[in-house]
Amino acid sequence: MIFNELAIVESTEEIASNTFQTFLKSPKIAASIKPGQFINILPSEYWDKMMRRPMSVASQKDEVISIIYKVVGEGTELMQNWSLGDSVDLIGPLGNFWDGYADKLSILIGGGVGIAPILNLHNHLDELGEEKVLIMGARNSSEHFIDHNPENGVYMTTDDGSLGIHGNVLEPLKIALENIDIQNVKVFACGPPAMMEAVRQYSISEGIECDLALETLMACGFGICQGCTVEFEKKQKTTEHSYRNRFGLVCMDGPIFESKEIKSCHL
Amino acid sequence: MSSVKFGKLDFASPILVASGTYGYGHETKSMVDVNGIGGIITKSVTLHPREGNPPPRIAETSSGMLNSIGLANVGVNEYCKSKLPYLNELNTKVIINIAGTAVDDYVETLKILESAGGNHVGYEVNISCPNVKEGGMSFGVSAKMTESLTSELRKCTSKLLIMKLSPNVTSIEDIAVGAENGGADALSAINTLVGMGIDIKTRKMKINTTFGGLSGPAIKPIALANVHKVFRAVKIPIIGLGGISCVEDIIEFILAGADLVQIGTLNYREPGISIRLAEELDLYCRDNNLTSISDLKGLAEYR
Repeated sequence: MIFNELAIVESTEEIASNTFQTFLKSPKIAASIKPGQFINILPSEYWDKMMRRPMSVASQKDEVISIIYKVVGEGTELMQNWSLGDSVDLIGPLGNFWDGYADKLSILIGGGVGIAPILNLHNHLDELGEEKVLIMGARNSSEHFIDHNPENGVYMTTDDGSLGIHGNVLEPLKIALENIDIQNVKVFACGPPAMMEAVRQYSISEGIECDLALETLMACGFGICQGCTVEFEKKQKTTEHSYRNRFGLVCMDGPIFESKEIKSCHL
Repeated sequence: MSSVKFGKLDFASPILVASGTYGYGHETKSMVDVNGIGGIITKSVTLHPREGNPPPRIAETSSGMLNSIGLANVGVNEYCKSKLPYLNELNTKVIINIAGTAVDDYVETLKILESAGGNHVGYEVNISCPNVKEGGMSFGVSAKMTESLTSELRKCTSKLLIMKLSPNVTSIEDIAVGAENGGADALSAINTLVGMGIDIKTRKMKINTTFGGLSGPAIKPIALANVHKVFRAVKIPIIGLGGISCVEDIIEFILAGADLVQIGTLNYREPGISIRLAEELDLYCRDNNLTSISDLKGLAEYR
């Protein structure tokens, strides 16, 4: 069930360099959203752009959800300037959700603003007591807000070596896979297209089960504009949401796709 | 709510939702009482299924968007099987938009829909999709071809027959007259304008097909001018569309000569906008002592 709900801004905090987390009281969405799903946000009622901003939910607790974003344009600038008590027009929950993590070692890989759905899955696996590894990639230490803690399966990587492992997320992924039967592993990743494409190709070459949460421009988020397509590797049978079988809709058939299912993470 | 007469039909609200911007009417049902919408014009259906264009299919522009979806649809046979049953249950007026490549395609598609026994009240004929060669654009730019296509389709149905006009023409009046002469009951104006965008970082086109259709509030003044040109050229009713985002826009379109209007791009941002604006339009009528918004049709005065 999709809701169009007016949420109330509870707080916004800068959790890393130019990275903000805003908590929104949104009882209907908070009660029904699952890790990996997203909401479509109208940054302001005076917004003169045509498209809402789709964002994955980073946490959900009681009646409150949170989102994590970098201020990169007009929309996110408006969001960063939301005041306590402002009401915000949301549509959600949208899309599919993370699945297939039970009784497996889940390796969660996040990068950039793609950390949100990864964090929500991390919280969820914590609650379930499922085994997991968390890998976060960033350009430098100022973009990180979690401690590098390899003993507990938490790895930070930086492009400049200023924190954690110097390099990309594949380095700790390889470490995490050492001495493990890959049949008992599943990778969950969300981040910049180049990062996800590297993870996608690695997982395919190593035969590891891997799900990726894609991000793209959307006009609606609920299946009517047909704008947010991803090309499938093989023709699928016609799904309910995408009219034909060569393309899937990121909003309805996704945002989460199996690595083998799609042609590329570069949309 | 004050209803609006449109040919032989009464529309409970003069605000319809445009083809391609509301799917098949069921996608928003948990958010919107779709039966409160004046009418739903479904996404273009073609004789054969179409995959649609490769991504990227959309781009954001100032007060608008570019799209090049490429008439992705299940094809008319599957449409009759999987889409019509739900549309038949709706308690609002359903108009089926059809597209094609040749006269025979359109005729065949319409005949299949006629024999499927749906509750739909009519057809809107897409002769103006700018994004695919097969989108009927060759019809939409020729008054002669528009007239012959219209008259062929007219022979196949007694339901409402609406031709959807393109603004990407030298004289929209000529095409409108062609459709009127061919026996169209009404005209929809306008479809999207040809537009383009470039990503300056990658220097790539923003849309896979280079050119896309521009829609949204950015095109409203162009749509209004075209509706008025059509109003001066024909006697049949007009459905105005192009960038409508508020009740004032609707009143402008009606003053320019429209009988009904369609909301398009704004549905994506606010799926319930047609219902909200219908309420606001009722208030406007009450405040201005109008029995029907139709009283304002074409009343714009020249200076």
